[in-house]
Amino acid sequence: MLISIRNLWKTYDMGQAVQVQALRGVDLDIERGEYIAIMGPSGSGKSTLMNLIGCLDTPTEGSYELNGRAVGQLSDDELAYIRNKEIGFVFQTFNLLARATALHNVELPLIYNGTPASERKKKAEQALAAVDLLPRMHHKPNELSGGERQRVAIARALVNTPSLLMADEPTGNLDTATGAEIMQLFSKLRKQGNTIILVTHEHDIAANAERIVHIRDGRIEKDERRAA
Amino acid sequence: MAKLRTPIWESVKISLASLRANKLRSILTLIGVIIGVTSIIAMVSLISGFNKLVADQLATLGSTTFIVEKFGIIMSDDAWFNALKRKDLTLRDYQAIVEGCTECEEVALQMASNRKVKYGSEHFSRVPIVGITPNYMKVVALDDIVDKGQGRSITEFENDHRRQVVILGPEMAEKFFPKLDPIGKKVKIEGADFTVVGVPKKRGSFLGDNQDRFAAVPFTTYQKYFADKLEPWEGLQFYIKAKDYPSLERAQDQVRAILRARRHVPYHAKDDFGMYTAETLMDIFKQITAGISFTLVGIVSISLLVGGIVIMNIMLVSVTERTREIGVRKALGARRRSILVQFLVESVTLAAVGGVLGILLGIFLAKVISWTTPIPATIEPWSILAGLLVSTGVGVFFGVFPAAKAAKLDPIEALRHE
Repeated sequence: MLISIRNLWKTYDMGQAVQVQALRGVDLDIERGEYIAIMGPSGSGKSTLMNLIGCLDTPTEGSYELNGRAVGQLSDDELAYIRNKEIGFVFQTFNLLARATALHNVELPLIYNGTPASERKKKAEQALAAVDLLPRMHHKPNELSGGERQRVAIARALVNTPSLLMADEPTGNLDTATGAEIMQLFSKLRKQGNTIILVTHEHDIAANAERIVHIRDGRIEKDERRAA
Repeated sequence: MAKLRTPIWESVKISLASLRANKLRSILTLIGVIIGVTSIIAMVSLISGFNKLVADQLATLGSTTFIVEKFGIIMSDDAWFNALKRKDLTLRDYQAIVEGCTECEEVALQMASNRKVKYGSEHFSRVPIVGITPNYMKVVALDDIVDKGQGRSITEFENDHRRQVVILGPEMAEKFFPKLDPIGKKVKIEGADFTVVGVPKKRGSFLGDNQDRFAAVPFTTYQKYFADKLEPWEGLQFYIKAKDYPSLERAQDQVRAILRARRHVPYHAKDDFGMYTAETLMDIFKQITAGISFTLVGIVSISLLVGGIVIMNIMLVSVTERTREIGVRKALGARRRSILVQFLVESVTLAAVGGVLGILLGIFLAKVISWTTPIPATIEPWSILAGLLVSTGVGVFFGVFPAAKAAKLDPIEALRHE
C-alpha cells in the first residue's frame, strides 16, 4: 500500500471562533502503480486533500501513511524532505522559474537534495528526454509553448523518481489538443509504473484514470473503479 | 531522517543571476552602500596620503630642530590680538642664544618677503625672497636638495660680505634659462643684480605652496636690500638645531629662559614668543585630521544605514514578488534554511557588489583628486578590507529580516499567490 489514509480531518480556524471543516473523516487507500483521479466541485475539499497527500500541509486529526511512514505530524523541514524524495508536483500554471532554463528548472529538486552537479545534469537530461524535450533544454519558459512548459514541469516532477506524481488540473491552462497530449503522456508514465494522482473537475480528463474518487463536503462521496 | 543539504554556492549563483536580471534596480539599490564605501576608501586614502606628505615635509625640518618666532602657532583670535603687541625678535636675541645655549648645535636665521624677480624679458612678480644664514641648510636638512641640484649653497664669506648671490628655485631657473646652465647668470631682484650660485632639485608643491618658486639670498644681503626700514626684524625666525634628540627639550628650555630674561617676561606670564618643533606641527595636524575622520565616520554611518534600509526594502519587495517562486521551491523540497540562505546570500551579494563598486570608485576618486590637486593619496589595504567587511555586514544585518520572512512562508499560501 502506497497511501493509507484513515479518518482524516482538516479544520481551518477563520478567526472569531469560526471554523471551516474542509475534510470530515476521509478514508482512502491507494496502491502503488494506481492511476487515480480526485474529482469534486470547488469547495468540496479536494484541494485540501491534495495538499495533505502532497505533504504541503498536516491534518488536524487522523492518520496518513505514505510508503509505510506516518507523515501526519512531521515538522516543516521533514515535510520538505518527504516532498523532495517521494512526491512530484505538476501544477495547472506550470510554476516554472521564469529566469531559468528548462534544464535548470528540472535540476531544482536535485539541488535541494544535494545531488552533485554532474549527476544532476545527467538525471535532468534523462528526465527531459523522457518527455521528448531534450532539444529544448536550454530554452527559458517564455520561449516554450504551453504544452512544452507542462512537459518541463512533468520532467521536473519525475527527476527524483518519486513514489507519487501529483497533478493539479494539469490541462487547465492548455487547449484541448495539447491537453490530450499531456494526458497521453500521463498514460505512458502510468504504464511505466508511476503512481499518479490527478486532481480535476473535468469529467473527460478524469476519465483517463482507472479510478475516480468523488469528494463532496469534505467526504468521499463515491469511489469508482473502472477498467483502463 | 537524513538532512537535505543545499550547497551555498548554488544560492550564490541563484543570487547573482537575479542581480543580473535586474541590473538597473540593483545599481539603484546599491547607491547608499556605494557612497558609504567610496567615502571610506577615498577619505582614508586622502587623509593618510596627507598625513604621510606632512610627515615627509616635516622630516626635512628634522627631529632635533625647533623654530622660534614672534607669533608661533596661534589658534584663536584673542590670542592673535594679544600677540600683535609682542616685540619683534632681534639679532641681539640671536646672539644671546648663540652665546648662552649650550645644548644648541646650530642657530640659523631666516627672514622672508615677496619680491619681483626678473631675467631678460621674463619675470615672476611675487616670489618669496628668503634671507638665510649659511648654516640654515644644515638645520633644515636641505643639504641634499642643493647637492642633487646644480651649483652650491651660500658660503660664510658671501654672508659676511653681503654678496649679491642667490639660490634660485628650479621652476624659475627653468623659465629663465630653458636650455642654459643657470649657474653664474645674473637675475634682477627688485632691480638689483644677483648671481645664481645654486639651483636645488624639484620638490613639487606642498599644501598649495609651490616649493620650487623661491629665491634664497645671504641673510645680511637680505637685511641690506629687502628688510623693512622701520621694522628691520619683522618676521625674523630662528631655526635652532639641538645637539641630539635627548637634548632637544633642554635646548628649548635654555632658549626659553634666555628669551624670557631678555624680554622681561614676568614669572607667571606666558611666553611672548612662539616655539615649535616638527612634532608639534605634526600633532596639530593629526588633531585636525582626527576631527575630519570623526565627521567622516558619521557621514559613512548614515549613508550605510540608508543603504542598508534600501537593501532591506528591495529584498522585501523581492520576497513579495517571488512569493510564488518560494512556494514552488518549497513544494520541490526546499527547507526553510535553503530559502533563508538563498535570500541572505542574495542581500549579502548585493551589498558586497556595492562594496566592490564603492572600493573601485573610492580608489578612482582618490587618484583623481591626487592628480588634479596637490593632495596626495595613499590607498590603505586595511581600508579596502574594512569596506568589504562593512558592506557585507550591512548585507547580513539588513538581509536577515526579509530572508526570515521568505523562509517562514507557508508553501500552500505561497503557491496560491498571484
